[in-house]
Amino acid sequence: MSVASPAHIIPRRSVVGEEGEWCKMFDPPTASPATCELVAPTNPVPAFVAATVPGATNTIPFTIRRGLMKTTRIDMWDGNRVDFFTFDDPDIASTNGGVWPAPTIRMVRGSIFHCQVAAGGPPPHTIHWHGQEPTPMNDGVGHCSMEIGSYTYQLQPNFIGSYFYHCHRNTMQHFEFGLYGFTIVEPPDAYAQQNPALPNYAGGYPRRTAANLINFPQFPGYVPGDPVHGVAGPGGLNGLPGQPALDPHAYTVPYDVEALWVLDDRDSVWAANMKNARATFPAHGLVQPGVDDQFFKGDFHDFNPDYFFVTGVPFPGPVGSTVPCASNVVVPAELNSGVVGMQVPVNALRNQTILIRVLCAAYVFIRVTFPVDVVVIAYDGRALGVPPFNQYNHAFLVPAGTPMDLSTARRFDVLMRSSSTVSSFASVQFRHNRNNALLFTGQIPINIA
Amino acid sequence: MERRDFLKYSAGSLAALVVGSEMPWLMESNAYAAFQTPTLNFTITDAMKEMVTHNPFNDARCYFWIYKSNTPNLLPECPGPTIFTTEGDIVTITLTNNLDEPHSLYIPGIFSSGPIAPLATKTFRFRALRAGTYLYYDNLNAPVNRVMGLHGCMIVMPRATHPGHKFTPYAAPSPAVQKLFDDFGTSAHFPGLSWEQGDPATDTPAFRQYVWLCHQASPILFAEVGNFTAGLDYPAAQFANLFNNDPYVDTFNTGIMNRKPHFFTISGQSGHFAHNNPFLCPNNRVGEPVIIRVLNAGLQAHSMHIHANHVFTTSINGVVQENPLWVDTMTLYPLDVWDWTVPYIRPPDIPNIRGIGKADTPLTSITNPGIPGSVPHPVWPPTEELNTFLPPVGTLSGGLTGIDISCQLSPMCYPMHDHSEHSQGAQGGNYNCGLISGINFTGDRNTAGGVTTFPNVPTVHGPDGTGPAAG
Ligand SMILES: [Cu+2]
Ligand SMILES: [Cu+2]
Repeated sequence: MSVASPAHIIPRRSVVGEEGEWCKMFDPPTASPATCELVAPTNPVPAFVAATVPGATNTIPFTIRRGLMKTTRIDMWDGNRVDFFTFDDPDIASTNGGVWPAPTIRMVRGSIFHCQVAAGGPPPHTIHWHGQEPTPMNDGVGHCSMEIGSYTYQLQPNFIGSYFYHCHRNTMQHFEFGLYGFTIVEPPDAYAQQNPALPNYAGGYPRRTAANLINFPQFPGYVPGDPVHGVAGPGGLNGLPGQPALDPHAYTVPYDVEALWVLDDRDSVWAANMKNARATFPAHGLVQPGVDDQFFKGDFHDFNPDYFFVTGVPFPGPVGSTVPCASNVVVPAELNSGVVGMQVPVNALRNQTILIRVLCAAYVFIRVTFPVDVVVIAYDGRALGVPPFNQYNHAFLVPAGTPMDLSTARRFDVLMRSSSTVSSFASVQFRHNRNNALLFTGQIPINIA
Repeated sequence: MERRDFLKYSAGSLAALVVGSEMPWLMESNAYAAFQTPTLNFTITDAMKEMVTHNPFNDARCYFWIYKSNTPNLLPECPGPTIFTTEGDIVTITLTNNLDEPHSLYIPGIFSSGPIAPLATKTFRFRALRAGTYLYYDNLNAPVNRVMGLHGCMIVMPRATHPGHKFTPYAAPSPAVQKLFDDFGTSAHFPGLSWEQGDPATDTPAFRQYVWLCHQASPILFAEVGNFTAGLDYPAAQFANLFNNDPYVDTFNTGIMNRKPHFFTISGQSGHFAHNNPFLCPNNRVGEPVIIRVLNAGLQAHSMHIHANHVFTTSINGVVQENPLWVDTMTLYPLDVWDWTVPYIRPPDIPNIRGIGKADTPLTSITNPGIPGSVPHPVWPPTEELNTFLPPVGTLSGGLTGIDISCQLSPMCYPMHDHSEHSQGAQGGNYNCGLISGINFTGDRNTAGGVTTFPNVPTVHGPDGTGPAAG
């Protein structure tokens, strides 16, 4: 037995009869199709942004816009400059040229969401609405539908929670280089109150998110729902005699402070060697696809990150170190669907309900440890314990100091509330997915006064 | 499919060996290349495998050690055949070691052959004690022999239900998991079939299940092991260290590969060959829930992300979950074995009356002047999209001499892929060579008037032919 004379040869599989799918998976031609099964959009957010954010416009009614891709060079903490691929929002002038991470998209459950996307610069691209589940054309995976061009994506968010959006073209490069933003699905009436002087104002806090807190009475304002049917009783849309109607606040809880933690890493060698958006891209065979394809020996399977971030905020330190990020970062309303005051590090008051949304956007994995008790209320945009689909699981307490692991693209939402002051950090270990080696420890300040 | 056609579809892990009690649901279905066999008879041997990017201009081969089935005589593949048996059955297995060092077959909690000397043949019996998903592998000189390719999946099906309940894949389901399986096909939010229920009229097997056995392959390191002094074990710590930590080299500019893995496979396949393979990619209708058994034989972790449906993590490493999370992404560490239960609900963010995630009455579309013949109609099933071809019919690859690469958007195609995306990067991009499979929606059991089946639902078909490249 030896490499030179093995007992068996396992031949490569054939693409005969599937040449079309084979070629399309490599390099789908750019397309700009009309949106199938078109439904009139009803998203209230873009009009609110145009009305409240200075300089913002709402060009297409009830529709947000995204442009991609831009190239944005960002200074690292040590003076190195790294290229990022970025989105812009043509309705927000300050995003011209691209921002990273892309502006946070908020949408309300049950509305019809449209996003008109124009791809410029090195094409093509897509937007995939990670964790949201529409038809394939609106799912934004090129080889399953099309890479664009331009296109109006359509979906109806059905589950309140935390998601993200990213380019799904050659994702290993385009996502790593920064083509993503966060998505938040809110209760149906989240943008209903547009008077800033009144409670539940659309542009501020408190806000509500989905949860089943039947076992956690420490969070005031929780509204339970129908234990069998969830947010709607059996009475349907408007209720029936003796049956409750659809309640926009059923299975939701208010929170006073919101923090967004998107953990990310960059590999500056990848960034330098492979900044062409088509880098390492193979070409299908000119004569006989599946036979004479031209492959590159790419580097993209050897990932070694050396810069670390939370929601675009750097952890300024080298591999191997333990470093805090800045202690006072607030996401501007123009990058947050018009909502003022979303935080990165937590700066709150005693007895406030704090919601922290955590996403691992790094290609290595993260281990998050909170300095105070938290209650995990959702994974991947699905609130634990909310019937009917999530009646099989439940929210749970994570005591202070307990590590929680997340791998790429996973999310969880936690609630935190302290009756005493806290001046501490959450620790985020970045651990390599190939050997679980500790690469870096970022610290995110948590101050409760 | 004719029985005699099974052989060509039946390489390695894509074949199911049924040993012990009969499983008519498995044998009768075209979704499995299944063989009933009284005993297992494996040879431990080696193979040179042409990987996803191998062609006459691009040498992409990797050396493996494999378990090869002799009776029935299946084509060689890495991983080895998928073994199906039933809880409580006695399994007889004969192992012949044709390699130069001692090798073994080990099933955690069930069986350990111990070392089998070179050129020795031994026969063993074991009882399949407990229903569930298992990685079988060579546990000698760990992790070398396992990672070199000596691994496969064994599925132990439960023998009976618990009184008053439906089948789950488990001997002792948690109350939550039992309730989930009881609700399939019965509750208002899971209309359609139970997991245990098939429907011959719609060619839907019972106990629908798939195996995604993930692995990472290093052609340079595996060749070093193959060429190591005969009879001596390659140093295990050195193997693990080189596999994960060999220094980065600029492959793109130099063509030199380091000893890290350069190919990432699901049940031996990558990219197109795992995504568009009906043995690996579920093709089912709304209302036909399936189990996907996900395993990792390698030394690197993956972050498995599925589109179109959140999935319940019903079992992790033999522990039926008390609190089964409903997720779109799950971490797969080395040696992990877990089960995803896919409810196969209508993708919930397709517009509907209430917008609360249920299969409500779909909204009605408006006329889209950009689509010829567009008229208002219910948005589910999405007939305009299912009838769309992208790229348009007549789009040729490679200019005028190419072939038509147009694809109809039916059945509804979604991917499942490792979101720790560097595993998509073997010699190319855009998923065509990486750790990806998928999930297709072929219809809906719950549409008005009965079962709807979308166009182009695959019968069992390629890419199963082999040979040099397109062969
Ligand atoms: Cu892109
Ligand atoms: Cu994806």
